[in-house]
Amino acid sequence: MSMNRRHFLKLSATAAAVTAFGGLGCRHTAQAVDRATMLTPEWSKQTTTICCYCAVGCGLIVNTSLKTKMAVNIEGDPDHPVNEGALCAKGASIWQLNDNERRPATPLYRAPGSDKFKEVSWEWALEQIARRVKKTRDESFVQRNAQGQEINRTDAIASLGSAALDNEECWAYQTMLRSLGLVYIEHQARI
Amino acid sequence: MDGKTFFVDLTKCTACRGCQVACKQWKKLPAEETVNRGSHQNPEDLSDKTIRLVRFQEQVIDGALHWLFFPEQCRHCVIPPCQMATYEEGSIIHDEATGAVIYTDLTAKESFEDIRDSCPYNIPRQDPETGIIYKCDMCIDRVRVGKLPACVQSCPTGTMNFGDREDMLKLAEKRLNEAREKYPEAQLVDPEDVRVIYLAGFAPELYYATLSAYADASPIRRSPMNKQQFLAKMNNPARRMTRA
Amino acid sequence: MTNHWIDIQNSDCVLIMGSNAAENHPISFKWVTRAQERGATLIHVDPRFTRTSAKADMYAGLRSGSDIAVLGGMIKYILDNDLIFKEYVVNYTNASFVVSKDYDFKDGLFSGYNPETRSYDKKSWAFETDAQGVPVQDASLKHPRCVYQLLKQHYQRYELDKVSAISGLSRDELLRLYKTYTATGKADKAGTIMYAMGWTQHTVGVQNIRCMAMIQLLLGNIGVAGGGVNALRGESNVQGSTDQCLLYHILPGYLKTPLVDEQTLEMHNTKYTPVSKDPKSANWWQNYPKYMNSLLKSMWQEATPADAYRWLPKLDNRNASEYAWLTLFDKMDDGQFKGLFSWGMNPACSGANSIKTRQALGKLDWLVNVNIFPNETGWFWEGPGMNPKEIKTEVFFLPCAVSVEKEGSVTNSGRWMQWRYKGPDAPNGQKPDGDIMYELMEEIRHLYTKEGGAYPEPITNLSWDAIATRGVFDAHKVAKLINGYFTRDVEIKGKVYKKGTLVPSFAFLQEDGSTMSGNWLYCHSYTEKGNMAARRDPSQTPEQAKIGLYPNWSWCWPVNRRILYNRASVDMQGKPYAPEKPVIQWDGAKWVGDVPDGGWAPGTKHAFIMRKHGHGQIFGPGRADGPMPEYYEPLECPVKSHPFSSQLHNPTAISFDDEQKAVCDPRFPFVGTTYRVTEHWQTGVMTRNQGWLIEAEPQVFVELSPELAQMRGIENGEKVMVDSLRGSIWAVAIVTKRMKPFAIQGVEVHQVGLPWHFGWTWPKDGGDSANILTPSVGDPNTGIPETKAFMVNVRKA
Repeated sequence: MSMNRRHFLKLSATAAAVTAFGGLGCRHTAQAVDRATMLTPEWSKQTTTICCYCAVGCGLIVNTSLKTKMAVNIEGDPDHPVNEGALCAKGASIWQLNDNERRPATPLYRAPGSDKFKEVSWEWALEQIARRVKKTRDESFVQRNAQGQEINRTDAIASLGSAALDNEECWAYQTMLRSLGLVYIEHQARI
Repeated sequence: MDGKTFFVDLTKCTACRGCQVACKQWKKLPAEETVNRGSHQNPEDLSDKTIRLVRFQEQVIDGALHWLFFPEQCRHCVIPPCQMATYEEGSIIHDEATGAVIYTDLTAKESFEDIRDSCPYNIPRQDPETGIIYKCDMCIDRVRVGKLPACVQSCPTGTMNFGDREDMLKLAEKRLNEAREKYPEAQLVDPEDVRVIYLAGFAPELYYATLSAYADASPIRRSPMNKQQFLAKMNNPARRMTRA
Repeated sequence: MTNHWIDIQNSDCVLIMGSNAAENHPISFKWVTRAQERGATLIHVDPRFTRTSAKADMYAGLRSGSDIAVLGGMIKYILDNDLIFKEYVVNYTNASFVVSKDYDFKDGLFSGYNPETRSYDKKSWAFETDAQGVPVQDASLKHPRCVYQLLKQHYQRYELDKVSAISGLSRDELLRLYKTYTATGKADKAGTIMYAMGWTQHTVGVQNIRCMAMIQLLLGNIGVAGGGVNALRGESNVQGSTDQCLLYHILPGYLKTPLVDEQTLEMHNTKYTPVSKDPKSANWWQNYPKYMNSLLKSMWQEATPADAYRWLPKLDNRNASEYAWLTLFDKMDDGQFKGLFSWGMNPACSGANSIKTRQALGKLDWLVNVNIFPNETGWFWEGPGMNPKEIKTEVFFLPCAVSVEKEGSVTNSGRWMQWRYKGPDAPNGQKPDGDIMYELMEEIRHLYTKEGGAYPEPITNLSWDAIATRGVFDAHKVAKLINGYFTRDVEIKGKVYKKGTLVPSFAFLQEDGSTMSGNWLYCHSYTEKGNMAARRDPSQTPEQAKIGLYPNWSWCWPVNRRILYNRASVDMQGKPYAPEKPVIQWDGAKWVGDVPDGGWAPGTKHAFIMRKHGHGQIFGPGRADGPMPEYYEPLECPVKSHPFSSQLHNPTAISFDDEQKAVCDPRFPFVGTTYRVTEHWQTGVMTRNQGWLIEAEPQVFVELSPELAQMRGIENGEKVMVDSLRGSIWAVAIVTKRMKPFAIQGVEVHQVGLPWHFGWTWPKDGGDSANILTPSVGDPNTGIPETKAFMVNVRKA
């Protein structure tokens, strides 16, 4: 062991005189001040959000750069009564979701038998998907079963998702799926 | 003015590692490449990129299994020995208002060996490329604008606390008394010497060898300076002048 | 959750069983810790010593899947020692109801079992009723066929030694658990249960939870502060997505999806509108037609509810074995589906039996995958064992915005609907999911309008513009629609509500088409007073402050009631059983505290208003596998028999006959289980792609005991292979005393566990999903797969 208790205490005592004069030069803290300044209204917009992971529903404060429109800091909301500013490892890392180079930038399409995705436009992707939905639905739609009862459904398209959607999106999604006649509708709550 | 102090109640820590990530988030410290080494603790050790680390330790104490968690950081010594080991003016700053011990880019000009050896808790780490030495700076930028350090803000269980030293010492005493009901061996770790006061439910060395500077079992990994060398350095009048 | 996160602080005994709250709901420990600081005892019962166990006052290890033995033993302990809260049990539960004389239970089977269909005819489980249809009751609880007596009879078999032998808990541990928890049966004491997938992911998942709910009813712990039955939900909006009913069997607000036999709206509504002649039964579901008709009116605003009903698809039945997840993939593997939307999901890693799932994806013509990051589902065609050339499935990957890049609400486990605002932009124009679905449906509608097609009416008549403003998805507009509007001027109780004004609450919803509401449960969430979910007012009355109630912060369903069944927290005079922790109390003229379960004066209505007869269900005649929980082994298990009957498994469990199960199979001698860690989330798609989190938990691991490691010659930290009947994965061995062998019926049984967060796409040496190991078997009520108990082997790589 490099230092016993007596040693450390003695060290403390002899050094006491000098530390009282310790000061902090501005030049060395320029960077640190910037981080705090970035949270002021001159530099960033502040919004509140709720954590996207588990269902404790912790509140967070997001600061978004007025210049880049990207998040500069995301931390717990001290006013929120459930978490009172606290966050776990996941909640504390949400900043890395916004600014993350692993996120694909455009829709991707993989053709039958192909060994790669290719980048495609939103317009092309949505129109092509709409055509697949319509073709499959039209070919598989059953209005009446063998007993002549109205069933108005397709058993050839299924949907999975999602507990990661907002309430409003969930509602819109179920409305869309049910108007198309889907019955195989499932999501995370089932597993 | 007694400055600021952390009080860290290890009996309440769940190792959620919110503090470990909140620290990186605030400072935008890069992630390290790691592997699972048969432990949940990762990264393996403190580094220039990881200045706060939750250490995990399994111990059987009196026949019962305990999983001990120790969120480690610079202790911000009341009298920081690392500062005494410096040669360069302004490389290590001892902030008057808070007592924070702050390393600047000028630490690149210091002897890393000396700085690290001076630390009874084996905290400082060097960026191998720039030579700059890193460790916790008490989130001095946050503290100056009235915010809690990122690690304290993120803590859910009341493990991490921060405030005026007087208040934290009072809180530490109160919690120590409460903790002794469940943990008869509970103790405050090096409370007079540091600004990060841990409340340990069991003997400090059961958590980690250098949780306390004084634990008999505490093997500081690097070969230390001897006492004479250390005191000689400290008492070098020229260096004392530069700090003043 | 019947209660909410902050309320955990009010508990005198927190039982965490079937969950690892400290790791998977870390901030819950703010409130668990606070309860402990106030003197509460924290008990953790789990196969593995976790970060939760590390903080517990008592930890007991049980073999995965043996929960009903332990809980059944607790019911016996309560009854043997007469620890029930009798006034509560008599007034608020169905313990006094007399059950049909045809009811029977013999050797693990309830009356009405049909081995051919592996299902029950539940007729004989019915209550005996009087001429009015009101259940016959015996408040003395002495009638030999009353629920209380049947309960006694059923659980007398759950003797301490038997429970110990099958679960691995020692007699001492069991007695300590029972004694400590049942002490909350006193009027002013409250015990709470925090459970999660450790209870649901079993072939007896529903009965695990029912068993605990029954204990809570016997001890008078439901409706009170610090009590309740609390499912810790694992995703930020899994409560909301369930409320909005992205599930085959329910429509928004837990209304029923129409069946083939319900050809008209009237037939449907009549079938699901319960009738009670008991004047004290609020029988809330009598309002079913108002809610159903208002829902239909919100989706197709120009149509009558009756016409709109015709447009809804009709299912053949509502059996999980027909439509739920496991069967969906089984049918996909058989080629039934041409197209699949995998929207914000990664089934290639999340469902049981991943190899089967991934193989099934190759049988599709097209797959639409909406996600933030590359994932094992959208990229399945280039995964392990796949030959892209042979896979015909077209894949469309649509990159979506993350939560902070859009606006809308999510509902937490405590049913708080909380509004989120948009912060940053998505960096490259990735779209919010709402925009994607709006634009996609617009394309589809355009095609049907232009070209016609099969039965276009539900599509072309859909009120799709109601969710957008100037062609852009509008979360506020949808939130208002979910709340609901008056469709014409309506006079209710002397007040006129103009067409187009927001409905104040679901008590105002109408059957006649004069109101629309996308989800009756959320009616009251966005009213003329504003967006209730966005409220940030921490003010509270002194009573509310006592129990940590924040009625003005966000909004909570139903009608901002923060603790469900709260009429059971008071006696017949409206006086709180726990005066120091009152949820509601009657001040002589009105209720104060929380929003009560209906404003009726105390004693005038039964407490459990959502039940037809108004009582908490100790006897639950609606379940697929029996009215009372019975012990069965997981479908893969290490024993040939158990002490409670000769019926080894749940006779109604969902399974596929062509898939083998390992029962006492020497090739797979160890119990396996799956779980999560704090640092990752679900299949890890979001967390594996973030540096700080993958740094903390970089690779798939398997936790095993030192004893097992020694037996297999495994060193801590080395890569090992874990095998099951379904497949094999490598994992880094964590050899730890936190895992221990169990003594099961005199035999040493080892258990191992793995996280299911990993997948082959990223990081490169992170490993693959633990669901490669798990079986396609599930609970007969919910269809949830049994991924918490299955059999594996572990060997050196």
